[in-house]
Formats: sequence, C-alpha cells, structure tokens
Amino acid sequence: MIKRFLNLIKTKFLLKALRSKAFNRNLVLGLVGLALNACTIAPIAKQRDGCVEKYESDRDYFPVKSQVDRAIGFSIEYHKNYKVITVNQPWKGAKEQFRYALVQCGTPNPTGFNENQIIQVPVRTVAILSTTHLAHLEKLGLIDRLVAMTTLEMVYDSKMQTQLNKNGVQDVGRNNSFNIEKLLMLSPDLITTYGTGNPATDSHPKLLEAKLKVAINAEYMESSPLGRAEWLKFTAVFFNQEDKANQEFAGIVARYEKVAAIAKTAKTAPTVVTGFHRNGTWHMAGGKSYAAKYLEDAGAKYLWADDPSEGSNPLSFETVYLRGRSADFWLNTSQDWQKREDIPKSDVRYRDFQAWQTGKMFNSNARVNNKGGSDYWQSGVVNPDVVLADLVKIFHPELMPEHQLFYYKEIAP
Amino acid sequence: MKINLKPNLKINRIWLIFLAIMISLCASAIASLVVGSVWISIPELIKIIFHQSPNTGWAQIFWQFRLPKALTAIFCGAALSVSGLQMQVLFSNPLAGPFVLGISSGASLGVAIAILATEALGQISGGLGSESTLVAACIGAAFSMSIVAIASRFVQNSITLLILGLMMGYCVGSIVDILLYFSSPERIQSYLNWTFGSFAGVTVARLPLLCSTIAVGLVLAIASIKPLNTMLLGEMHARSLGTKISRLRLGIVINIALLAGTVTAFCGPIAFLGVAVPHLCRALFRSADCRILLPATILVGANLAIVADLITQLPNKTLLPLNSVTSLIGAPVVVWTILRPAQKS
Repeated sequence: MIKRFLNLIKTKFLLKALRSKAFNRNLVLGLVGLALNACTIAPIAKQRDGCVEKYESDRDYFPVKSQVDRAIGFSIEYHKNYKVITVNQPWKGAKEQFRYALVQCGTPNPTGFNENQIIQVPVRTVAILSTTHLAHLEKLGLIDRLVAMTTLEMVYDSKMQTQLNKNGVQDVGRNNSFNIEKLLMLSPDLITTYGTGNPATDSHPKLLEAKLKVAINAEYMESSPLGRAEWLKFTAVFFNQEDKANQEFAGIVARYEKVAAIAKTAKTAPTVVTGFHRNGTWHMAGGKSYAAKYLEDAGAKYLWADDPSEGSNPLSFETVYLRGRSADFWLNTSQDWQKREDIPKSDVRYRDFQAWQTGKMFNSNARVNNKGGSDYWQSGVVNPDVVLADLVKIFHPELMPEHQLFYYKEIAP
Repeated sequence: MKINLKPNLKINRIWLIFLAIMISLCASAIASLVVGSVWISIPELIKIIFHQSPNTGWAQIFWQFRLPKALTAIFCGAALSVSGLQMQVLFSNPLAGPFVLGISSGASLGVAIAILATEALGQISGGLGSESTLVAACIGAAFSMSIVAIASRFVQNSITLLILGLMMGYCVGSIVDILLYFSSPERIQSYLNWTFGSFAGVTVARLPLLCSTIAVGLVLAIASIKPLNTMLLGEMHARSLGTKISRLRLGIVINIALLAGTVTAFCGPIAFLGVAVPHLCRALFRSADCRILLPATILVGANLAIVADLITQLPNKTLLPLNSVTSLIGAPVVVWTILRPAQKS
C-alpha cells in the first residue's frame, strides 16, 4: 500500500513536469488513466458488502422478486438463499441451456450445480464483453461496479466514456478477441458475454477454463423490443437489484404501451421497406423479427410482415425491387448514404423506389460517434419507448407533434 | 498435363460438341431470363423485348435485372475460364487458375481498404457505395498484377513467379485480416458479402465497361493461342521454336489482369470456375490444343457461370452465395478429371 502511494506521488510529480512542458495532452490523459487504474481496482477486491454473517436456513434472502413477462429467452426461479436463472436459448439453434445458481453470499451452496454455475451474489465487480450490457448497468445505477469492458471507444455517450475512464475501467479487447490475462488479473466477480454457438470465436469456454464466472446474455435473440429490454432484469438479479429493475422496466412498458396506443389511433398504415442490397443480395428482416415488431407497433405496414422468420433472409435485389419499390417509407438504409443523391450513385435502380422519389428515408444513425459506436444499439436497447416514439413520429407526424427524433434521422435531401 | 496437339476426335465430332455446347448455352441463358422471383414466360419475354408488354414491372425486371445479370455471367464466366486456361498452360500446372498470381488478393485488399479502413480514417462523406468498391478493386488488382508483371521480367523460372504470387497472396490476406479485426460488424458484413461473389451487382450503366474490357481481353487471349501452344512442349522447346518466354509471360500477366481483374472488381472473387472449366474442356475434347480449348473454355465457362447463378436461386425466396455454388460445381469437376486417366489404365 505504501509503495503504491509512493508510486502515485511519483506519477503525479511526473505529470506536473509533463504538463509544464506542454506535452501531448493524450499522453497525459493516458498516464492519468494508468495511475487511477493502479489505485482503484485493487481495493474493491478486498471488501465484501452484502454478505450474510449468520445464515438462517428458513429465511427468505430475496424478499423482492423479479418476474419475467415479455422476454422468452430467460427465466428466474427463487429459492430461500439462492435463485436459479436459466437462459433458454443462448444462440440460434442452441442445443444446450445455461443455468446459473445465484447464491446469497455467506450462505451454503445448493447441490446439483457445477462449480462454474455457482455465482455469489450480490456481485461486486463486473466485466462486460458487449457494449449493450453497459446500458443495463447505467439504467440500474451500477456503473461503479464495472471494472472492464470491450471496445470502450465505441461507447457513444462521451460523458459516460469520460466517467468510465475516470473509474479506471479497463479496455480488454474487441468483440470476441479479448485479453484474458487482463481479465484474470482483475478477476471480476462476474463477466457477462454473449454466445453465437461457434466454439472457435465464443468467449465463454475460454473464460470458464480460466475459472472465471461467466453469464451468457442472449438479449439479441429476443424478437420483441420489450422482451429485449426486459433483459435488464437478467443483469439486475446478479446484483440483487430486482427492486430497481422492476421499477425501471415497469416504466419502460408503460411508456412503450402509451406510444403504441397512440399509434393505434392512426387512420392509415404506410408501407415500409428496410435495408439495402450488397452486391445484389438484400438481407431483409424477417416478418417476426425485432425490426418488424417495431414497425407493427408504430402503425406501419411492413411489406415483409407475412414472412415467418425471426432473423433476416438473403433475397435477390430483383425480389425486393418488385415488392419494395412501392413502399411509402424506406428505413435502415446503408450508413454510407449521407444524402439522397448518394443512393443512385451506389445503384441507379434505387431511383425507382417511391421512397427515394419522395425522400421518405430514415436511418437509426442520429447518434453515432466517430468510431462507429451507435447509441441505437446501446441505450436504444433499454429505451424501446423512445425508439417507438421516433418511428411513430416518422410514420404519423401528426400523432406526435411534440416529439423530436432521437435515434433516427432523415437522409438529407 | 497430357500433351497431345493432335486431336483424338474427328473434326466432325469436335463441331458436334461445339454445337451441343452452344445449344446448352442458349438454353441456360434463356432459363436465366425466365427464372427468378417471378417467372416470365417466353412469349411474355418476347413481348418485353419488342416493348409490347403491358406489364412495366416485368419489363423493368427484365431490362434492369435479368438481362444485365445474364450478360455479366456470360462475360465473367468466359473471362475467368480463359484466364485459367492461360495460366495452366503457362505454368504447366493443372492447379493454376486466374487467381494464383494474387490478383484476387490484390483486389480484396483494395476493397477491404475501401470498406473497412474508411471507418478508421473517419467517415468519408457521400458516394461511398459500390462505386468506390469497384475503383478500389481495380486499383488493388492492378497494383498486385504490376508487381507480378515487373517480377516476370526478371524472374527466369515460371515456378518462381508462381511462388511469388502465392506469397503475395498470403501477405495481402494477412493485411486484410488485420483490417477485419479492427472493423465494426456492419463493415465486416459488407466485406464478406463482396467475397461471396455475385453477378447481380452490375447495373446497366456499368455493363458496357465490363463487357468491352473483357472483350478486349478475350481478343488478346485469342492472339496468344500460337505461342501458348508452343508452351505445351515445355519452355525449352518453346524457346527453340522462337517463342520469347519472358515477353509471353508479361503479355499473359497483363491479359489476365484485364480479364480476371475486371471480373473480380465487378463481381468479387469468384472461385474455381477458372480452374475447373479448362479441365472440363480438355476432357470433353480430349485435346490440349489451345486452338480448340480457347473457344471451348469461353463457351463452357459462360455456360457454367449461368448455371451456377441459376443454382443460387434454387431455394425458393432466398439466395445462396455464388462462390459456394461455383466451388461445389468446380471441385468435383477437377477431381473427376484427375481420376479419369487413372481409371483407364
């Protein structure tokens, strides 16, 4: 401890010297980050709050419970001193489920679970391997528990990024290639990640091997916006924050349904096409997909609503051209198209699209930082009500006169 | 490779086979105009061609989608197959194809930089669509081919050139991997889509450029028939017959840059057609004579490309990646031609 203190003083001294010489500002910030890291991480691991001192076998340690209403991907089961959380479908076509026993710290472990399935709660420190999980922590007021994440520079909110840097949150890599040594050194109580079913790229097998506690968050598999937002509760149960999660989610549902009810009053349902073609192949969101559900709730008629799939289908441009060129609105186009004239430059056949002719084209890229991090995929996941309000504003501007587009923006004429 | 300049088949047989290939090419071309998201019947097709059809939607489908795609497939199939034949003869190696000298890797690097690195350099506003991909692929292919062309001036041995091309492919591949590693999923998706290959991305406006470049390349290839035939006897014999090997190599490298480079730029790296079609033609005509094989590869290549594109549409309502289909057709063809003489003996 004394050594660390001395080091810190040395670093501060060095900093002053550097500043006086007007050194590169980035370098200084980097050093501040390093110095802060050195002091903030270690002390957290020493203390343990929320542990039970004296175990009583007949006491219910989780008086506030969460119930899963909208999400189909996970379920929670409560017992006296532990709760079991099951991830039903961790990825597309998964044959296995993931079950975790969340045991109240200081109470005995239940039988019937492997060691790597048992996680002591409340979790004190967490590392996240997807930026979408950050939104959960933020909503639940648990940002201070975060010690490491991937692609820190992709965090859209610059204030949040500054705070994370200040908190000494470590950047441990990109997507599924991460620095396992750094994670081992930090050894957080919990690492949340996602799976794709490919053992070569998935992170959890490697993390489990390293005896780290991993939870698979499969929110992206959820095909309804509210279902996806409800994964907030999934994160919350690891922190015993059911109360907060229940409140937040109830608010989200109430606001979402209010907007959806407004959209229901619309007299017309404009037709919508989504996406764009790459080299002749157009990946069209399925009729039961997340995107389709939003369109339905926003009072629009998705032209592929009759399609039975939840994911997306590769279609030929010709197929889309036949059906889609008559669409009133065109959503989620290429991020490379900044203005209307960029579109025929990439393919003249787009000129025949009615939405191009009328200029009714919108993208969910109003909030994207210079590294390509999009807030639509970050805070948008826990603010489905705002996304829906955007869509209703687009399709039926008269129904939402007050609302300003937040995640969406029009392609400039 | 079997060297047999004298055809085993009688001249009449050769004409017959050519006729059969022509008929099958016509049939598959018509099929590719008929089959798609909607089936356009042949009478309707004729009406559309003479601007008599009342159905404007179908007419647009025909003029803007089906016809450009069919023409693209014909020209690209021919170009890849001819350059494959040239490579196999030049290197006396049955496994050579249009891409062994690193042309597709060069084009890939160009595209990878266009799609992936723009993100790292910050958003470049406007017009960043297939146009930039096209330009980048051309520059990349031309760059890698000019390195090979320069090398071919100094390198004595063809095998050395082959190894050089392969190694360049590896290096470029690693650079692409690094770019991929630092890119966002959406960009990676764009890049991957390009590597799947497709004849459908070429618009009417770009068709003249594609077709004329390939036509020039094919004419050049026809002009190379004679010196190529001398190469069948081996480099030493060819030299003694007055063929200037290094000049021929340079010529063919430029020729392939035109043919395979154009295809890669417009349609992505399309696998295996270039390797498989020359083998198929050798088996059909039982000859190694380029005077027969060159026109044969043009026709068979065009034919196979159209058939491959038809197969991508086989699953109802969705598409298969073109590259998988060409490989699935091409690999068995190569295996078959390799095993065939063994069976005989």
